[in-house]
Amino acid sequence: MESQNIRDKKEKVVEEKVHLIVFKLGLEEYGVRIDQVKEVTITPEITRMPKTPSFIKGVSNIRGDIIAIMDLEERFRIERPSGLPHQHTYTLVMEAREYTMGFIVHEVPQSLTLPVSSIDKAPSFIQDININENFIEGIGKHEDRLIIVLDIFKILTSDEVMQLKS
Amino acid sequence: MKSRDQEYKEIFIAEALEYYDALNRHISDLEKNPEDEQLLAEIFRLLHNLKANAKAIGYESIGDVSHKLETAFGLIRSRELSFSDEVVTVLFDGVDLLGEMITNIDSPKEVEPSPELLRNLDIIINSLSENSSELTKVQKYYTTKNLSLSDLIYIQIKKLDHLLNLVGELIIDRDRIFSLSKELDNEDLKNVSAHLYRITEELQYSVMDARLVNVGSLFNKFPRIVRDIAVVEKKEINLEIVGQDIQIDRNILQIITDSLLHLMRNAISHGIEKEDVRKKNKKSPQGNVTLSAQNDRDTVILKLIDDGKGIDQQEVRKAIVNRGFLTADAAADLRDTEVLSYLFEPGFSLAKEVTEVSGRGVGLDVVKNAIDSIGGRIKVDSKKGEGTTFTLFLPTSIAVKGALLCQVEENFYAIPLMHTDSVVAFPTQELHEVGDLLVADINGETITIISMRELFNTDLNDYSVKKSDLNGDAQNIIIVTYNNRKLGLIVDKLLRQQDIVIKALSKPVNTIEIYAGVTLLGSGKVCLVLDVAAITRYFIARR
Repeated sequence: MESQNIRDKKEKVVEEKVHLIVFKLGLEEYGVRIDQVKEVTITPEITRMPKTPSFIKGVSNIRGDIIAIMDLEERFRIERPSGLPHQHTYTLVMEAREYTMGFIVHEVPQSLTLPVSSIDKAPSFIQDININENFIEGIGKHEDRLIIVLDIFKILTSDEVMQLKS
Repeated sequence: MKSRDQEYKEIFIAEALEYYDALNRHISDLEKNPEDEQLLAEIFRLLHNLKANAKAIGYESIGDVSHKLETAFGLIRSRELSFSDEVVTVLFDGVDLLGEMITNIDSPKEVEPSPELLRNLDIIINSLSENSSELTKVQKYYTTKNLSLSDLIYIQIKKLDHLLNLVGELIIDRDRIFSLSKELDNEDLKNVSAHLYRITEELQYSVMDARLVNVGSLFNKFPRIVRDIAVVEKKEINLEIVGQDIQIDRNILQIITDSLLHLMRNAISHGIEKEDVRKKNKKSPQGNVTLSAQNDRDTVILKLIDDGKGIDQQEVRKAIVNRGFLTADAAADLRDTEVLSYLFEPGFSLAKEVTEVSGRGVGLDVVKNAIDSIGGRIKVDSKKGEGTTFTLFLPTSIAVKGALLCQVEENFYAIPLMHTDSVVAFPTQELHEVGDLLVADINGETITIISMRELFNTDLNDYSVKKSDLNGDAQNIIIVTYNNRKLGLIVDKLLRQQDIVIKALSKPVNTIEIYAGVTLLGSGKVCLVLDVAAITRYFIARR
């Protein structure tokens, strides 16, 4: 009986799902947990803010809140494949504990549910790519797709962002 | 608008009624617990305050009754009078009488204290023995007790802050609707939005008005403070206070409280000379200090004037060099007003000796930071031997500020009017190149001119502008002033003057120094508010 119970529990753990918002940066797919995303919107007019790093695109008025907008591709120095049309860009409005910030993505973000078990902890060789390992929560696999799961909270609190002082 | 006196009177009555309620409560408790020292102390305090307030505003009879009751409770406290039944009755009667008198202030049936009751009170105060037989029964002609609630309420400033923030948001949306209605050109919408405009405006002023307090609420604390400082410094100070009636936002007053205290300490301990020195210089033996307030449109101007020894320009110039701010040559070339502005630099102090009340390393820079933080400015004038005047220009209200809108490249920027001096269209040919900077002679003053385009687009260390970099025959220059220093800002276009509601920038972009905040224009466009103080500091640091 007891061993049966334990097996049941194990099965439940296996079934735990994580809900992601998935978007493309460069050629790869990236995801963030949906509970960190406040909303997804077509990028509103951005007011450029001189004296900020180039990956800060400026500030936007989103429903009366004025928030900073960051370009993740520029932030991570991900090269965009040239020639892709982008009439609109989209902004993911993300909430950290103390503040809200927008992230620009170039294609419509999608929602995707993955079993937790299909996300591997970030392997160490990822240090070789430009995204600091710290920001990567893991690599998720879904059918034949590979999704890099980002820890947005770490991006928002990284020293680099917090100390924007010019 | 009600007169100030009327307002004071209403506040007095409301407070007095509150005291009365508290007295009733405490005295009933005391009857059950005659030994309770705390209750006694509290009753004593309430009566004491009531007496003082009543006398201050001229209600002598209320003051007298309070005084008698206060004395009686004083005796009970010192155990010279026992809290016996007879005494309790008299005291209750006395408190009831107070209540009647307060409720009926200024009404036709004004209550005179009954002579019997006053006599009873005198008896219990004066006869310290058990001699209660003389107490006469007091006719209770005021038995009908009306329950009534006070006309005044206390409110936490936090709640008013919240209300003001909401109004700020509302104004932003109102402006948006207002400009939309013009674009859409719909008559009904225009009418409604015009009405909305008026109502929000009135709402805004009402909320701002509710937050106003008299400058006197701060100024009136100074006679005592000045006395204490003067005693320690062994000086005699004659303090004159002018303009207590001027009104200002409560939070602004709160923020400058420490600054004003600091300036006052400085004035007395460093400014005013010792008596023998004053006599030698043919001045009155007492030092004169004036604290004044006046209104100038949306600005409240506070002045702290002393007739002390003044600030020695040469000494300041020397200190500028000694502390490594400038070379001796550069210091010698400074204009007098600029020399004094160094007093506000961090770590700049002229104090040679540390005294008990001032000169403990907190400099004028702290004062200036406080004033900067509310968008005000501070100025110092001084004449050696004659005295020093500090002038504080403060916004009346925090929420709404007049600002000048301008355009640089595709962006709109706002510069608070508090910091703008004038606007000129200046011929490009008449600008001069000095090193990497441009300077111009405007109305006889040599002013450093900054190209905002260049400032925005290059790293400060690489900032360099030649005349050839500028487009056009004339430049739109906004002359800004901060800490007695002037700076000319070249902008692409001057737009208009407008009242704006400044919102703080949110993290992480709140650390960019040159922005004081952000505002939304009627068009919905985001407009950055420039921090003149930070931009000025940029170029001073560079020098």
